[in-house]
Amino acid sequence: MTSTEVYLENTVLGPKAGGLYRHQNFATGLISGVVLGFVGWVIGQELLQGSNWGSDMTVTVTCVGWVLGFLLGMGAFNAVGRWILGRDEDHEDQLYGAGVGQGWTRYFKFCTDHKVVGIQYLVLVMTLFGAGGAMAMMIRTQLLSPHMNWLSPQSYNALVSIHGMVMIIATIIMVSGPFANFIMPIMIGAKDMAFPRLNALSFWTVVAAVPPILGSFFVGGVDSGWTTYAPLSVQSFPGQDMFAITICTFVVSVTVAGINTLVTVITMRAKGMTMGRLPIFVWGSIIAGGLGLYAMPAFLMAQSALITDRVVGTSMYAPAQGGAGWLYENCFWIMGHPEVYVILLPAAGALIEIASTFSRKPVFSYKAMVGAMLGIAGLAIMVWAHHMFTTGWAPTLANPFMLTTELISIPTGVLFLCMVGTIWRGNIWARLPMYFLYLFLWNFIIGGVTGIYLSDVPADQYFHGNMFVTAHFHFTLLGGAMIGAAGAVCYWFPKVSGRMLNERVGKWAFWLIAIGIQVTYYGQFLEGFEGMPRRVVNYNPLFQPANVMSTMGAYTLMAGWLILLYAIIHSWRNGVVAGPNPWHAKSLEWQTETPVPLENFLVDPVVTRDPYGYGEEAPDATQLTPEPVGAANVLLGNEEGVL
Amino acid sequence: MSTTEISEAGQHEGGGHHESPRERHKKEHMALWLFIGGDAVFFALEIFFWFYLRTLNVNGMWLGSACSKLNPCTDGLGNPITSPIAKASGIYTLAIAGLIIVSALFIWQAEIQARSGAHRKATTPLLGLAVLFCLAAIGLQIYQFQVLPFTTIDGAYASLFEFFMGSNLAHFLLVLVVATGLFNRSRIGKLEHSNWYQAHLGRLWAVWVAASATVLALIATFLA
Repeated sequence: MTSTEVYLENTVLGPKAGGLYRHQNFATGLISGVVLGFVGWVIGQELLQGSNWGSDMTVTVTCVGWVLGFLLGMGAFNAVGRWILGRDEDHEDQLYGAGVGQGWTRYFKFCTDHKVVGIQYLVLVMTLFGAGGAMAMMIRTQLLSPHMNWLSPQSYNALVSIHGMVMIIATIIMVSGPFANFIMPIMIGAKDMAFPRLNALSFWTVVAAVPPILGSFFVGGVDSGWTTYAPLSVQSFPGQDMFAITICTFVVSVTVAGINTLVTVITMRAKGMTMGRLPIFVWGSIIAGGLGLYAMPAFLMAQSALITDRVVGTSMYAPAQGGAGWLYENCFWIMGHPEVYVILLPAAGALIEIASTFSRKPVFSYKAMVGAMLGIAGLAIMVWAHHMFTTGWAPTLANPFMLTTELISIPTGVLFLCMVGTIWRGNIWARLPMYFLYLFLWNFIIGGVTGIYLSDVPADQYFHGNMFVTAHFHFTLLGGAMIGAAGAVCYWFPKVSGRMLNERVGKWAFWLIAIGIQVTYYGQFLEGFEGMPRRVVNYNPLFQPANVMSTMGAYTLMAGWLILLYAIIHSWRNGVVAGPNPWHAKSLEWQTETPVPLENFLVDPVVTRDPYGYGEEAPDATQLTPEPVGAANVLLGNEEGVL
Repeated sequence: MSTTEISEAGQHEGGGHHESPRERHKKEHMALWLFIGGDAVFFALEIFFWFYLRTLNVNGMWLGSACSKLNPCTDGLGNPITSPIAKASGIYTLAIAGLIIVSALFIWQAEIQARSGAHRKATTPLLGLAVLFCLAAIGLQIYQFQVLPFTTIDGAYASLFEFFMGSNLAHFLLVLVVATGLFNRSRIGKLEHSNWYQAHLGRLWAVWVAASATVLALIATFLA
């Protein structure tokens, strides 16, 4: 335990430090959420137009009550109340909010320390992947045989829809949640995120959003697919209301997180950390944050209009009453395509950090990489209608959207080539993160090339409704982005946990994951080539061999993920102590001690070079004056802060 | 490498997240503009919905009443029939926009006073008036829901009109929270000296809400 940690553990704050926060935690959040949810149910049932349990009004008001109650019980609105009352936080309140002196219980509180929030996100992401993965295995098991009756058609449809959205939620936060919170502020030399309370709010809002979507199974589920196209979704079960409330809540989280990330990077960089010296991961995070700010309001619009159509009978999407389902589809994909890059860019950024560190080379063409990321973001907002080629919406726009979609392969290709260029003729250190980089490169090229077929209007007419699309986007999001996230976990694990990940077990997991992905999704490509439609519970026996192949691959994949999870949990408890910089990396997060002090650095860093100076002469550490300043002095009360 | 050296300038006031009001203002100002940017996307989509459905006039139901057993949308032979609904009176809609504009102007004036170093006796009444006008806008908005000549189920125009008004209401509630907070902080002397920036942030939000409410009111009144 470092002296800082000793200081934090031994610090005794005043009895009133933290105010109401002292009495609030996950348990009070749950109780408050259940109570206000019940109040919402009573209001919906008795006062509004809901006449029995299961009606849309009752379900919606209950879910809103749950979300608000949970956040209230967690303490998410305390700061607003204090601001209105003019009772601003003092220094002790801030330290309490950051988790000082609370030990492991701070992980169950509205903690403002970005490192705690990062770990909270990591656990949440793994939990969501566990839930979504279990649903995937149920789907694949059902598809093992053409006429399997293990799942009813309604249950199958609900599983497909909820698996899809749970995984989308998890993938959106899988890198930007844990690592843009834990690592990114340290990478830029900041003491914390710009808005620590908003940071905690963004996390606990996702937690509040999860129970409604999982609970939707109990009120009929969601049978309209993960895209929940209207007007089908207007007529769906009450589970659809819970799905929509989840999305609206999640949008709040992503918006808040995006604002926080952007403001942190723009205003809180260390001295000398110019925009031209930002690590690529930071660029990926801020571009994704900005893209999320553009995309998520469209999702909110789509879902809030869906809620009003279902609950109070508006007619945005019902053609019989003057609405148009295309409005929903447009809004959904105005969000949906940029969202792919919201997921992908931080993961790609993390992999570029890995590429440079383990090749012992500077990144290849830093400016081209940043330009490519910006180009991807710029084009991502102009391609949405390629998801709607087969709907009949605006056929005259098909060619322009085909062009913009194919154009996006150019910056994507640049990014890919820069990654390859970074490792090209490098002095490769083949550790586990590097394995995941190689796997990403392989998977992403398959996901990318198959995407070009889908951007092509004639080819899309054949492929759009079949399993080819499913295989394509799983290769992109699982084979690409999720593998990037796995690489990021392995790379930053020593900094986050203070221990080394067990590489022997990790490599077993890696190979199972690598093989599992290929077998699962090659099987689905085969199904697509043969013409098997998506989202069907039973199918023609002609498609069985490919389905068996895909299901076997899925079981292999599941085994790989479970072993990786075991490696993470086991290493966190029993792994070899890592030290501050086990990879001998150059970026700032590796220059501070492990575990990371409360304010990240014992001395304020001043950046003098870019973070990829491999092969350059390192300055002698003794040139640094070992004299902590400012906050570090207060926290440590001694002079042992040496970077 | 290293990318680090010791800073001579990084002096703090004693740990924690201590920042000068100027630093906080810079961050909060940027965050607010980003939030307004996101809200503007939502706002633009609302307007897109309006003109899209108005232009398409699907099944003649832009201004048509809802389908029901008493009022089927077809004549039994598959031919669409509609009975036009009355449009909402522009008086309420424009009056609501006017009230929130006045509220925003009071917050703006309070900011000017606070910036110039005025005593709280100058800013508090202005912010009190801002709260009152905002409450009036909210009250009138709720009243308008009661007196509309249609309900949410009466076609696309009625749906979007009420959606616009609901969106207004959500915005106004946020203005009310901000204005109430500013009023109370001014009353107890926490809006003076370097804290004027809080009024500046409140003013930015209120002006955005007033501007968006005005645009929605004009569209709903003159482009129905």
